[in-house]
Amino acid sequence: MKVPAQLWFGAALSSAFVVAALVSLVWTPYPVDELSIDQRMRLPGDGYVLGTDQFGRDMLSMLMVGARTSIAVAIVAVGIGMAFGVPLGLLAAANRGKPVDEIVMRTNDLVFAFPSLVIAILITAVFGPSAFNAILAIGIFNIPVFARVTRGGALSLWTLDFVLSARVAGKSRLRISLEHILANITNLLIVQGTIQFSLGILAEAGLSYVGLGAQPPTPSWGRMLAESQTLVSLAPHIAAFPGLAIVLTVLGLNLMGDGLRDILDPRLRSTR
Amino acid sequence: MERRLPPKRASDSPVRSRQTRLPDAAEPVLEVEALSMDIHGVPVVRDVSFDVRAGEVFGLVGQSGSGKSLTALAVMRLAPGGAVTRGRVLLSGTDLTALSERRMCQTRGRDIGMIFQEPMTALNPLRSIGDQVAETLRVHGVASRSEALCVAREKLARVGLPQERFGLDRYPHELSGGQRQRVCIAMAIALRPRLLIADEPTTALDVTNQAEILKLLSDLAADEGMALVLITHDLAVVAGMASRVAVMHEGRVIDVDDTETLFCEASHPYTRDLLRDSLHQPSRRSGSGGTPVLEARNVIRDYAIRRRSLFGARRIHRAVDGVSLTIRQGESVGLVGESGCGKSTLARAVLGLDAMQDGMIQVDGVPVNLVRARMQAVFQDPYGSFNPRQRVGRLIAEPFHLTPLTKPVRHARVIEALEAVGLSAEDVDRYIHEFSGGQRQRIAIARAIVVRPRLVVLDEAVSALDVSIRARILDLLTDLQQRFRLSYLFISHDLEVVRSITDRVLVMHSGRIVEEGVTDRVLSAPEHPRTQELIAAAPRIPEEWLRAGIKAGKPDSDTP
Amino acid sequence: MIGYAFFRLVSLCASLAAASIVIFGVIEVIPGDPAAFMLGVSATDDAVAALRAELGLEGGVTARYFSWVGGMLVGDFGTSYTYRVPVSELVLARLQVSLPLTLYALALSTAVAIPVGLAAAARRGGTADYGIMAATQLGIAVPNFWFAMLLVLVFSIGLGWFGAGGFPGWEAGFWTGVKALTLPAVALALPQASILARIMRSSLLEVLGQDYMRTARAKGLSGRQAVVSHGLRNALIPVMTILGLQFSFLLAGAIIIENVFFLPGLGRLIFQGIIQRDLIVVESVVMLLVFAVIMVTYLVDLTYAAIDPRLRRSI
Repeated sequence: MKVPAQLWFGAALSSAFVVAALVSLVWTPYPVDELSIDQRMRLPGDGYVLGTDQFGRDMLSMLMVGARTSIAVAIVAVGIGMAFGVPLGLLAAANRGKPVDEIVMRTNDLVFAFPSLVIAILITAVFGPSAFNAILAIGIFNIPVFARVTRGGALSLWTLDFVLSARVAGKSRLRISLEHILANITNLLIVQGTIQFSLGILAEAGLSYVGLGAQPPTPSWGRMLAESQTLVSLAPHIAAFPGLAIVLTVLGLNLMGDGLRDILDPRLRSTR
Repeated sequence: MERRLPPKRASDSPVRSRQTRLPDAAEPVLEVEALSMDIHGVPVVRDVSFDVRAGEVFGLVGQSGSGKSLTALAVMRLAPGGAVTRGRVLLSGTDLTALSERRMCQTRGRDIGMIFQEPMTALNPLRSIGDQVAETLRVHGVASRSEALCVAREKLARVGLPQERFGLDRYPHELSGGQRQRVCIAMAIALRPRLLIADEPTTALDVTNQAEILKLLSDLAADEGMALVLITHDLAVVAGMASRVAVMHEGRVIDVDDTETLFCEASHPYTRDLLRDSLHQPSRRSGSGGTPVLEARNVIRDYAIRRRSLFGARRIHRAVDGVSLTIRQGESVGLVGESGCGKSTLARAVLGLDAMQDGMIQVDGVPVNLVRARMQAVFQDPYGSFNPRQRVGRLIAEPFHLTPLTKPVRHARVIEALEAVGLSAEDVDRYIHEFSGGQRQRIAIARAIVVRPRLVVLDEAVSALDVSIRARILDLLTDLQQRFRLSYLFISHDLEVVRSITDRVLVMHSGRIVEEGVTDRVLSAPEHPRTQELIAAAPRIPEEWLRAGIKAGKPDSDTP
Repeated sequence: MIGYAFFRLVSLCASLAAASIVIFGVIEVIPGDPAAFMLGVSATDDAVAALRAELGLEGGVTARYFSWVGGMLVGDFGTSYTYRVPVSELVLARLQVSLPLTLYALALSTAVAIPVGLAAAARRGGTADYGIMAATQLGIAVPNFWFAMLLVLVFSIGLGWFGAGGFPGWEAGFWTGVKALTLPAVALALPQASILARIMRSSLLEVLGQDYMRTARAKGLSGRQAVVSHGLRNALIPVMTILGLQFSFLLAGAIIIENVFFLPGLGRLIFQGIIQRDLIVVESVVMLLVFAVIMVTYLVDLTYAAIDPRLRRSI
């Protein structure tokens, strides 16, 4: 199997950020919870690889810890989406046209009417802002996405003769869903998971930018951008690096997703 | 439009000569000279030459992958991307391969019309049929919009879609497959082209529709003096239609002759094999007279149909309407009928896949859902019949679900079944994509017999196969039936196949069994009008050609 | 067609009802007593009771829900606790910024994406196609609020072509207003245009492989004629779906982008509402946003039916 260049490139780019996030658990160039006003807004290279922010914290260290927040939020949100969406999608497909299907799909449509930002607003208005609420908001938004993809993939499989053969053997719908359907939509789910992962990182950044995500002192890319906004003309690097980090991570994940789609399922055309 | 040649009915032609002795009366409309095509460097059409005369029906036959469709696309210069074509294609003396793309566009639709295999997808779903037929005239600038619609109405009526029932404003999704194919024909003949190419025009249709469409095509060719190139995999179709036939194999024309000569002399070994395989009769003993295995009484199966409007009444379609049947041990029973007559629904009910509204189905006197393992099935599509993620061993073992056998016993049985269908024990660890269509159908049969069922339902099990593979699979089925004392319920639209492998046949129409009896009797002396229609519609190679052909085929020792 | 529109209208109303129940449940039922929640822990019982009376929060949950929904139907969204003015007034004023911004961005995104997508499909596999695909890949990855900051840096601070933020109001003149919304709209439109261009490209390529395109060529249409008269309309169907979805992303994006440009839109209103625990404002604005999304979905469905005869059958 020929692995496309974009897959290598995307995988390398996104794993670089994952590695940075993991390394930050045990080591960062400078501590991120100590402010040193006399070192603030240092330019890149001046003793600090990427300079310092307005409180004198090392940008590189901040970005590494910020990667942790972004990636953790996005991964857990994808997990929530899959954990609820996939079973719902399988259930709906197995009962196509029956009331269960109808209920699942209508509920799906309803959740779709709430963009993740709106869900976050609702949750935050009542429970106050936190990284956990951001996870919940993005996760809830992911559920109908996975339910829909799963159902779509499953429906086309249910029409195939091998499902009929399994039914002739006396297998139940549940068993068929798990044994035959799920195995054949894994590719679809891997690809969609990558896409939702990258969307999750963007959404997390947006939420923390407006103050609905991770709260101080937890570093996060979106909040770094929000805090740098008034300083953008004085020290552009403070605004540039977190933004670049987001762009590169999302780009890496998207390239990886497209590459995976090409090798895992050539029938699926690029739809993004 | 000027016609240089008077309409001439191909079948009236007394000419029965080799291609080298062209009749003087009709000059060729299409001459293909040494046409070759490579796709991404792979040769798919090699050095093909033939010619087609005005008013003639020319058959181009071959199995799948023989290059017959690509030859047609090369003539139209609509070959897929990556194709490189060499050779000459002369349309009334003009070399099409030398025309500019603009001139070629003017030629397509005006001088050459083409019809494709899949009527369900060949029409733009968003535009009305009148609009699409009229477009042929509009795009060549020969008529104003209203004139074009007028001609469209006339052409649609000509192909059997009269204005009163099929208005110009109908959309493709409102029509059946046969009706859509008629729209495609109307589109192709709207400008009375000199040449009409029909690429498997009836393969996706059932026999009655097929007969009507073929009749329409040959009438059109005769009335309009068109040359018709009929591309098909079905020898019986060309036997009834074409005056001359070219047989293609692996990209080459290996035999070209008058239809009758080709069939009667069968001089080329490949043609002879093709002919023999398409009529293959496995040698089998009649299997009636055993104890009843399957008994179905008064089976009723309803479907709810979509309501016509929000407040419309709920409507019910009765797909199977009070059917009773019995199949005895070792017996083969055929089930035939047009598409939509309910035969597949009945099969699903027999297999216990759908709940019935009324009636009972028993296997060995026990309700079917309690003894699933006594009944197995083989379906049509050799490509969709297997989970691509499981190995062959696991695929074949699937029917052991709900049986109490131990793992080693199961494994031994899987190997036994694989070997019984002519595959080897090593194949258990391979994945399904490593097998060809014919091998897959063997694996499907292995899966069906692995639990030693009493009855196997074969739902169009050989319909998707090329004739040579089909013949081998029919032999295999016969062999297995005798070895394991199996009973078969054999569902097919192909009467020749049913004749070759069944003892009794049931004819289904609108959810009911309208006639049943010993296969030879029903097929040779049908009593019910529906059966008669069905048999009349099925294309057949004339008996005397066959006798001659088989005689010519000697001394092949394995001819029965 | 009318039957279809009616059927969709029924399901539209059902969606709105379900959405309103969810929103009401989260805002007014989960916190227990909204009045106490809004005033915080230090409030006296008397103050809470007074606020409850003022906001009409007395009575059972069901009665309150129906009075809220009934109020909205006649344009009464309640009174803001912090601003002490009817919420409808606040919302109406803010909508004059948010709605034009969203529509502006939608128009920009569509106007750029469709030609770009078509151009890429037409030059499939060529340099232009690769260039466009790479650019859109980047466009999707850029967070719109960061892009907005870059735009401000370049076009306001650097070049001085646009103001760095704020909105003079439509009273200052139509073009002045449009100019103030241009950078925010561009920032919003970029990622959506990238997605839409990719959809347009892949959808057209998919349609090009359909049997009816070959039929059209066999009739004598040139490749270009076949695309124009048979390809485009079919290719636009998936594009429509994405356009409908994009409206909700743009609306949500607008809320964030308003923060970058200090625009007095719904976004600012809702974030102030959250900070000041003004639940009535949050509830109303969220309902309005969800209403907009559901309405757009409805309109997209009707447009589908207009394009695609297969959907015109009554249900």
